[in-house]
Amino acid sequence: MPTQRTPADRLDQAVDALLAGEHVTLDASLRPALSAAEALRSTLLPVPPGSRFQAALAGRIHGDRLAERTLRAVNTTRGRLIAAGAVSSAAVGVGVTAYAVWRTSRRHARPAHR
Amino acid sequence: MTQAPAAMPREPRDDPDAAAVRAAQRDRRAFEVLYRRYLDRVYAYAFYALGDHHDAEDATERTFLAALKGIDAYSHTGAGFRAWLFRIAHNTVSNAMRSRRRKATQPLPEGWDRAAPNADPATLVARAEEGRRVLRAVGELPLDRRQVVLLRFVDGLSAAEIGEVLDRSPGAVRVLLHRALRDLAARLDA
Repeated sequence: MPTQRTPADRLDQAVDALLAGEHVTLDASLRPALSAAEALRSTLLPVPPGSRFQAALAGRIHGDRLAERTLRAVNTTRGRLIAAGAVSSAAVGVGVTAYAVWRTSRRHARPAHR
Repeated sequence: MTQAPAAMPREPRDDPDAAAVRAAQRDRRAFEVLYRRYLDRVYAYAFYALGDHHDAEDATERTFLAALKGIDAYSHTGAGFRAWLFRIAHNTVSNAMRSRRRKATQPLPEGWDRAAPNADPATLVARAEEGRRVLRAVGELPLDRRQVVLLRFVDGLSAAEIGEVLDRSPGAVRVLLHRALRDLAARLDA
């Protein structure tokens, strides 16, 4: 069964057609609203932003990407530094321990002074 | 009785921006395509809503930077990328209006009377005066009706898309638009 379209639905469809540049006719009850829609269409003209602003915003968008890449690089570098630091500390620890063991073993191996 | 929210999930293929969004999610450099596609419309919405070029620039910048930040989290549901972007723009503009306690009176956009350069001066003056009346009447509309009018006529969003932006059903948006146009007709006729 076909559903009855409301005035709001019919007006919305008429606005669609109006915005597409088509000629629109509606019944008398909706004609004042359609006239208001026509007035809006010819009044609310596109307002392009200034070229300086466009360039600045494009730069900011690019800059944000640059900042993100830099941050990622720094994070990666920081990670490498931490890993290198941990390895170095471990190596130093192992070295010191090995030296201490070696010194102790040499001391025990030497004959005692009389 | 409450009106059931309209079910309008769309497949990505229905969204004309789907490919550009996917590209931007893979590589943010591709966001520039979306930026260029929507810059004028977001700016125009902000300008007509806030009534000032400087404020419109600020709101436009915030909108695109927020969109860039959130593009990874965007998923193709609802009315598409355009509605998602204008939802950000709408929230940004609403915050600006709240924080500045600004009543959005609408000044004429620059270059308004350059629309018909060959028209005779009397026609231009009459047009400019008519334009002022229309903009004044739009500025006097209740906020929700004004927002629907701007999103529909400045940005060309459909009722479904405006519903996504304003968190209303498409039917409720159509009713708001109907009321707004009747209201405007009465104001312009007075």
